[in-house]
Amino acid sequence: MTTGASESLIERENAGLDDAAAAEIAARSPLQLFWSRLRRDKVALVALGVIVLMLLIAIFAPLVVKIVGAPNPNTQNDNLLDDFGSPTGPSSSHWFGVDDRGRDVFSRVVYGSRVSLEAALISTALIVLIGVTAGLTTGYFRGRVDTLLSRVMDLFLAFPVLVLAVGLGVACADGCLGGLIQPGLTVVIFVITLTTWPYMARIVRGQVLSLREREFVEASRSLGASDRRIIFREILPNLVAPIIVYATILIPQNIIYEASLSFLGVGIDPSKPSWGGMISDATSIFQDAWWFMVFPGLALLITVLAFNIVGDGLQDALNPRTSK
Amino acid sequence: MSRSHLRFLLASALAVVALVVAACGGSDNNSSSSSSSSSSSPTKTAGANNNSAAEAPATKGGKLTVLAGTDVDFLDPGHTYYTTGYMIAYSTQRTLYSFKPQDSVKPVPDIADGEPQVSSDKKTITVKIKPGIKFSPPVNREVTSKDIKYAFERFFSVNVGGQYPGYFNMIVGAPKEPTKGVKPISGIETPDNNTIVFHLSEPAAVPFAAALVMPITAPVPEEYASKFDAKSPSTYNTHVVATGPYMVQNDASGNTVGYKPGKSISLVRNPNWDPKTDYRPAWVDSVFMRTNASDGNVASNQVLDGNNMIFEGNPPANIIKEVATKRKDQFVQVPSGGYRYFPINTTIKPFDNINVRRAISAGFDRNAARLARGGKFTADLPTHYLPPDFPGFDEAGGMNGPGFDFLSTKNESGDMALAASYMKKAGYPSGKYTGNETFLMVSANVDPNKAQSEVAKAQFEKLGFKIRLRLVPQDAVYNDWCQVPSKKVAVCGGAGWFKDFADPQSMLEPVFAGYLIPKSGLNNNMAQLRDPKVDAAMKKAALLDGDARLKAWADIDKMITGDAATIPFVWDKTTLIRSKNVNGVANGYYTDWDLSWTSVKQ
Repeated sequence: MTTGASESLIERENAGLDDAAAAEIAARSPLQLFWSRLRRDKVALVALGVIVLMLLIAIFAPLVVKIVGAPNPNTQNDNLLDDFGSPTGPSSSHWFGVDDRGRDVFSRVVYGSRVSLEAALISTALIVLIGVTAGLTTGYFRGRVDTLLSRVMDLFLAFPVLVLAVGLGVACADGCLGGLIQPGLTVVIFVITLTTWPYMARIVRGQVLSLREREFVEASRSLGASDRRIIFREILPNLVAPIIVYATILIPQNIIYEASLSFLGVGIDPSKPSWGGMISDATSIFQDAWWFMVFPGLALLITVLAFNIVGDGLQDALNPRTSK
Repeated sequence: MSRSHLRFLLASALAVVALVVAACGGSDNNSSSSSSSSSSSPTKTAGANNNSAAEAPATKGGKLTVLAGTDVDFLDPGHTYYTTGYMIAYSTQRTLYSFKPQDSVKPVPDIADGEPQVSSDKKTITVKIKPGIKFSPPVNREVTSKDIKYAFERFFSVNVGGQYPGYFNMIVGAPKEPTKGVKPISGIETPDNNTIVFHLSEPAAVPFAAALVMPITAPVPEEYASKFDAKSPSTYNTHVVATGPYMVQNDASGNTVGYKPGKSISLVRNPNWDPKTDYRPAWVDSVFMRTNASDGNVASNQVLDGNNMIFEGNPPANIIKEVATKRKDQFVQVPSGGYRYFPINTTIKPFDNINVRRAISAGFDRNAARLARGGKFTADLPTHYLPPDFPGFDEAGGMNGPGFDFLSTKNESGDMALAASYMKKAGYPSGKYTGNETFLMVSANVDPNKAQSEVAKAQFEKLGFKIRLRLVPQDAVYNDWCQVPSKKVAVCGGAGWFKDFADPQSMLEPVFAGYLIPKSGLNNNMAQLRDPKVDAAMKKAALLDGDARLKAWADIDKMITGDAATIPFVWDKTTLIRSKNVNGVANGYYTDWDLSWTSVKQ
């Protein structure tokens, strides 16, 4: 984070691999540098592939279920339950077995990825938006705005987050804020955003506080640049890397958060399959039906792991000096 | 019919050996029980049969441990209104009438001496009480009819907070609102120490007499309890004295030191209990009840693998499966004496149309809803409302019911063709609902209620109704939603009505009488059914007695079933599990273990 955006980097890459390449000293854009570093991180690439696959599965969930020949995720079939209402396990027609309503676990896991990714991506986007705005404002302008907003952040950070989330989820179960928050997924997104944005804002504020004292900002200011120009042209581009890194850490965190909230029964329409909700339902019959918990659990694990690895990879690639 | 049904269940549940013993049990038993116990009385045979059906003859002595997931609601007999509370109440208290295990239809005199005498105008009831029944320490005196009068009076006070005044507020002079402090009731007379007379303001003696089995009729000594009852809430709950074979362990001043709320309850023998006045055998010497065994799986396994233990109430579903398939000699089942149903709000269009409601019933996969509660092993599919092993069940058609096609024994999994034909009758030519509005369904957020409501949602959606399922905490479902008409809940995601005593009026009237829907406050008639014919028939049938009464209420049952205002989906049975060396005996009245009949093999 010591380079201005307009500076171009000159670095020696791939030294010793190829004579011609070794001799070549080229000027590259930060993006090219980033990409060449990321390309060397094979694990991160695999994880990226997994994420792309997950996204495709989520987007084309109906198609995936149809191709496999699994029933609709909400189709209840009590013929698949035994006399005591216990579900049957994995079979050729139901790869992941069925749950205690006789619903196909495979198609529920597939559809569950929609809820997880939707909630995580939207809330992360909102957190970035709010957090960056708040962080820039407080860090750049300081003074009263900073004091006020920082205390608000402190207030949010001091809250027992999960308790607040469950409380809000119940309070907003019929919709709140004059209909802006509708029951269902928006409640979950609202809760996640509300309780997580201060973390983002704090990080951005810290960065801005140090950036605004740097020479290139001073120079810009002495040339008579407006606040707007300084914020958007000088400071913001330098924040892109930490924002991206933190956002990629937030995504898996928010997936877990969403799963925890559905596990606790907050917000989500009960007939809409979500991984957290499935795991919650499975706890009572785990001894009889391991598949009901294991498959959504695995899906959750793989997705979160993939995002975390990619996040690490991005951090290394964007900011090689911090972690090596 | 009802009896043979129960026998069948027991028979299917028990081992072959046990059947043989049961078949020739009578004489075997009598000899063993008279030799093993000095407390034998002629009335004991029925319960003893039940013992032998499971195990070898009962023996006296030993310590029984009860594992329960919840505490009792109250020890105070005037306040308790919950299964666990009843389980303690009916082994520590004696009521005017009570039920032996295995016969929850016909009550037997307990403190009462003989049947209640009902006047010809059905407004006066006279009950004699037995001499020689004494209170446990520290009261130590003989029970008189005045103690029962006081029990009734304190029931109506705010301090005690009796929970079922509706069954007793027709006594002349009974308060309509809870009183501050205990107020005398003019309509209860005690001409002598062994007689109590109830004067009623309406000719309701028959259901009133049937209700004299409730814990309100357990005597409370005024001179001892009044100082506790003067506090609000009454502290008699932690100073309760006993008349039954057991008492909650207490100290010299009456403090129930054996009761640790949320932890445990210790019962010991009541030294003042005279077996000659009672029909209970009271085999075990003491009972220790753990009331914090909140992990049902762990506790159930402790009971099944351990010794001297019973589990209070239904164990978790996987345990029921285990005992039904592998440990067939370690459980008993009793019909829970009630029905569970999905009320449909008849004031919301299009559910005001009887054919729409019949269509929903016809297409409803009730077996799926039953599977959410444990499947056919734990419940029968109802064909009407009066449940098995309950007065009026046979008259109402027994298991086959009154014969409506939309709620027949053949239609277990929903008949979509039949549903479509009813929808057509209701004016939906496509056979499905075509409106666009979304209906609100409310249910508890925990299984099995959550599961059953998900099933119900799918059933409504099959017929084209859009349902929004709202899951709320268990205690909010009824008090904040289903029982509050202004919330306009279209479908309640499951409700249950269970017996308070053996009379069909109490099973149907509170749930379906249009005239009982309150202008404000909680409403038990969740379907908000106002059928003038049903209402008129109920008012008439309330005055009848004997067979005519059963017949009349069975006819009402049929009318209500025809109205299809709810979808009754289970007549459930309570499954009770025990350790191998325990002779567990269940009481069909409060559908839990009967502590004064259960014994431990030494």
